[in-house]
Amino acid sequence: MTDGDAIRLDVLRWHPDRPAAPWWQSYEVPYRADSTLLEALQTIKDALDGTLTFRWSCRMAICGSCGCMVNGRPELSCHLLLRDLAPGPVRLEPLAHFPVIRDLVIDQQDFLEKLPAVGAYLVPAADAEAAPDTPSRQTPAQMAEYYQYAQCINCLLCYSACPQYGLKPDFLGPAALALMARHDADSRDTGGSARKAARDAESGVWDCTLVGHCTEVCPQGVDPARAINRNKTASARDYVFDLLMPGRRR
Amino acid sequence: MTRPATWQRDMRGWWRRDPAFRRYLLREATSVAIGGYALMLLAGLGCLAAGPAPWQSWQGLVMSPIGLLLQALVFAAAVIHSVSWFRLMPLTVPPVGRPGRRLGDTAISSAAWVASAVCSLALLGWLVYGA
Ligand code: SF4
Ligand code: FES
Repeated sequence: MTDGDAIRLDVLRWHPDRPAAPWWQSYEVPYRADSTLLEALQTIKDALDGTLTFRWSCRMAICGSCGCMVNGRPELSCHLLLRDLAPGPVRLEPLAHFPVIRDLVIDQQDFLEKLPAVGAYLVPAADAEAAPDTPSRQTPAQMAEYYQYAQCINCLLCYSACPQYGLKPDFLGPAALALMARHDADSRDTGGSARKAARDAESGVWDCTLVGHCTEVCPQGVDPARAINRNKTASARDYVFDLLMPGRRR
Repeated sequence: MTRPATWQRDMRGWWRRDPAFRRYLLREATSVAIGGYALMLLAGLGCLAAGPAPWQSWQGLVMSPIGLLLQALVFAAAVIHSVSWFRLMPLTVPPVGRPGRRLGDTAISSAAWVASAVCSLALLGWLVYGA
């Protein structure tokens, strides 16, 4: 390609003041060799159509705001170069499986409510809590146990890659369950037993059927499919031990 | 808190939206083929118990062109099933070993392949030489 080329973006739009049905709108956008898809959206907003709505912040694949469906696949729009999408046209839709507020902006409320439900925060041991200014030591090997899961940027691409979440909205879903595993695997955490009810429920790990696409689309290499399916094994093991030894301490 | 007005697409035809979803459905469908094969063997056992005539007609059915074609399809399904599940197996195995020296994915998948090869060869050996 040469600088000065243009590419066509087909965007699926919806506005609350035109609620009957979404519609497709096409834009011809000039781009350079180093332009990202997010920059194309910003060009549209600034120069072609100020009514187009989308989220972004960091423009460097770390804030997790700019997710959308690109040619049917969940992607971060700031993480894609237009030259890799050429000659186009590029099909842009809001992230699948979420309610759409406007154009490419989805409502993340459901995920935000699921985060506390999985206990996605560190529960320190009582003595660590009593002495908040002393460091909690952790070896590199102990950190490696959860580090991968801790890379989640809450971009929700994995929820759009998960048909089970689309079919069963109660499912806690990939990122929330990966963050559950992240805290369980942390040597400083003591909150594991409190997370088990959410893990063992139908809407916990058992709604997952290992489609595995969440792991394929995750821009951070979190591997939620692994977090969930290892926890299925743990959940089944706890179930059997609870049957054999009623009243055992978990 | 009031929620904003929204629009949401339904899930009709969701498997058409991504090749990954069709690969997943194919993997799941292979278990139906394998279940069907188990039923066929069970029917053979029933025929064997019922006497020589039913046993012979079951054998005839199994060795007929249609029977052979079905078995070839089941074999293909079994290959897809094994390859896809052995590949996914490391995702389901809780961490093995101590922190810092965890068993890798390749080791887990390879162990599964070796175990299945040993079992298959043992069964084959028993069928050819033992029975
Ligand atoms: S697990 Fe990956 S895809 Fe899912 S929200 Fe976190 S970073 Fe995004
Ligand atoms: S704008 Fe922050 S991840 Fe894309």
